[in-house]
Amino acid sequence: MTTVTVENINYKEEIRRKTSKPLMWMGIVSIIMFFGGLTSAVIVSQGGGSFLSIEMPFSFTISTFVIILSSLAFHVGLISINKGSYTIAKISVLITLLLGCLFVVTQYMGWVALYESGVYATGNQSTQESSFIYLLTALHVVHLIGGLVSLIVVLVKTMKQKYSLDNSLGMQVSITYWHFLGGLWIFLFFFLRYTIA
Amino acid sequence: MSTHHHHAKDFLFTYIFSTDHKMISKQFLVTGFLMGFLGLIMSTLFRLQLGWPGESFEMIEMLMGSWQEGGVMSPDKYLALVTMHGTIMVFFLLTAGLSGTFSNLLIPLQIGARDMASGFLNMLSYWFFFISCMLMLASLFVEGGAASAGWTIYPPLSALPEAIPGSGAGMTLWLVSMSIFIVSSLLGSLNYIVTIFNLRTKGMSMTRLPLTIWAFLLTAILGVLSFPVLLAAALLLVFDRSFGTSFYLSDIYIGGQVLDHTGGSPILFEHLFWFLGHPEVYIVLLPALGITSEIISTMSRKPIFGYRAMIGSMMAIAFLSFIVWGHHMFLTGMNPFLGSVFTFTTLLIAIPSAVKVFNYLTTLWKGNIVFTPATMFSVGLVSTFISGGVTGLILGNSALDINVHDTYFVVGHFHIVMGLSAIFGMFAGVYHWFPKLFGRMMNNKLGNIHFWITIVCAYGVFFPMHFLGFAGVPRRYYTNSEFPMFNEMIDINVFISICAIIALVGQLVFFFNFVYSAFRGPRAPQNPWKGNTLEWTAPVEHFHGNWYGEIPAVYRWPYDYSKVNAAGEYVYGEDYIPQTTPLGDDEKDGGEH
Repeated sequence: MTTVTVENINYKEEIRRKTSKPLMWMGIVSIIMFFGGLTSAVIVSQGGGSFLSIEMPFSFTISTFVIILSSLAFHVGLISINKGSYTIAKISVLITLLLGCLFVVTQYMGWVALYESGVYATGNQSTQESSFIYLLTALHVVHLIGGLVSLIVVLVKTMKQKYSLDNSLGMQVSITYWHFLGGLWIFLFFFLRYTIA
Repeated sequence: MSTHHHHAKDFLFTYIFSTDHKMISKQFLVTGFLMGFLGLIMSTLFRLQLGWPGESFEMIEMLMGSWQEGGVMSPDKYLALVTMHGTIMVFFLLTAGLSGTFSNLLIPLQIGARDMASGFLNMLSYWFFFISCMLMLASLFVEGGAASAGWTIYPPLSALPEAIPGSGAGMTLWLVSMSIFIVSSLLGSLNYIVTIFNLRTKGMSMTRLPLTIWAFLLTAILGVLSFPVLLAAALLLVFDRSFGTSFYLSDIYIGGQVLDHTGGSPILFEHLFWFLGHPEVYIVLLPALGITSEIISTMSRKPIFGYRAMIGSMMAIAFLSFIVWGHHMFLTGMNPFLGSVFTFTTLLIAIPSAVKVFNYLTTLWKGNIVFTPATMFSVGLVSTFISGGVTGLILGNSALDINVHDTYFVVGHFHIVMGLSAIFGMFAGVYHWFPKLFGRMMNNKLGNIHFWITIVCAYGVFFPMHFLGFAGVPRRYYTNSEFPMFNEMIDINVFISICAIIALVGQLVFFFNFVYSAFRGPRAPQNPWKGNTLEWTAPVEHFHGNWYGEIPAVYRWPYDYSKVNAAGEYVYGEDYIPQTTPLGDDEKDGGEH
């Protein structure tokens, strides 16, 4: 069969422009269903009536404030790009990245606090609720690492002044995911607080 | 040297790491069929054991070596084959093979797009699928053999590596393979949804979409909503298996030793599994129903009857599929009231299903039917959808289900309504769109022989299973001859096994036709079936971008067949009007009313 390339039609850029954001939204839907499955599992397991209460570490509360601040910082970055202020944009994205890393640190501190208070993720001293609290928070961090990678890409592109008012699609996609991760954490925080803690 | 390097690079990116949806479609088709063929061989092997329990088959011993020492299959190998057969057929052939092939081929071509939303993700989707296939097959050769807990991998057999031989490395590979498969499926599904919503050509409104596209869209939505839940279930299982958590396990004794696990419940796994598992039935079935709608309308040269009702019924089926999972769990000690709720929602599915069957039959009614193998397989699907659906009414009703639960009645039911319907839809699709896939025609005579062998043998295999089930013969048992009350049933088992062997031989006819026609078949014209949809306006030869110049605009729905004017003459002199033909002054668009 003859293989012909349609060199004269530049359709790939148009497809990218039309579909990047919807692809991210569909990805988000699948992540919501993933966590929906896990949180439903918590509720079904709780139906057994044997759930014990676990005290939520204070650093998880700090995580909540950190991730809200990071979302605000990222948004300032996008507004600055639209206004052409690259210096503020660079600083904002950098702050977002640092706050993202700080979030991971506060999560780690939370796990250490849980461990030290005798709440174990696995093993014969673990319980369903103790396993769930580690699993849900760790899986959120796994998704957040993807967000940090995208933040590094956005930071590099911002430093190279690749974005502008008309061309900030990559940043918009990244910011959508980052806001979602923030929302997901806030949901998990309250969910764990009212079901397990 | 440099030209050689250039050619090697061309080959690599054209045939191996292609981002063109048409090549990816062919990759899914060939891989899916190869997996399906292996699944079919596995079923024939365990049918030998069920038909002639304990008998030695020298040829099998020669082929299978230690798998059948002395020519007799051992119980653990039997369980491994049953599990692998189910897994391969449900996921690798009828999920990835069917959706991967036809969603990839038809979505861009029928909606008028140059490619999928992301060619790269599409390529990744195939390669994740390929890797998951390899891992699943590799699990056959590890110590202890492949996973053996059935395709539903219920704990504790799947959660405790020491439970049975197949619970060890084979089960671990099953979980790894399925996790990669789920990623592949998700990448495919989100690509299909975004492509359909965002890349339709000018004039291609949602009410002008072919029913194939509606089916693929709803299938992809089901996939995005349900597969992540299976991933969650699998993840908890991995933790129970490998890290000592107790999500699904409690109070287990093995070899007189009590295990550490406390507090968990295998019922939790069943909830999570069937929340995917039931939509999965429709992930398998809906593409086949969409393909059938398209072929029945084209080949009976009539507009599809009830276009909007077809869309509505597919939507209803898709929605209901999420609220019926409990009907797989009537025997788990479920509250009878909850059971009656699941019975109610399950029986509701009969309504949209009946609408679809009615519309297929009324489309065929008084049509000028062209009998191609695609038509035959489509009509075959309507037949299996009815005969398998009717027994669903029994299994969906908790009061009746408990009598035949986990018997061969269930095996007969779901193989007919889901397995046969979906594979018939897939065969129909391959015969119909083969000219689009390979630019050549398949042989109709061989196609018809394939159809008649398949439908006769398929009913020969699965219809008698209902009687076995009524008699109480349990599914998944290695041998039934140990139970005196089932001795009378051995003749039925022999009959089923003979039908299964002939069905396997029948598929060789298809594979010969497929391979021969792909290379030596007569060259296909651009529009061999005189169809209305956009794919037939694209050139026969494949190239990235699908159409030279502008993408054609669409002016009408896809089912204007045999449209006549007041004088009884065809409106445009032919019995079909492609979607690219502008509406006349006095014409109405079929999809709009």
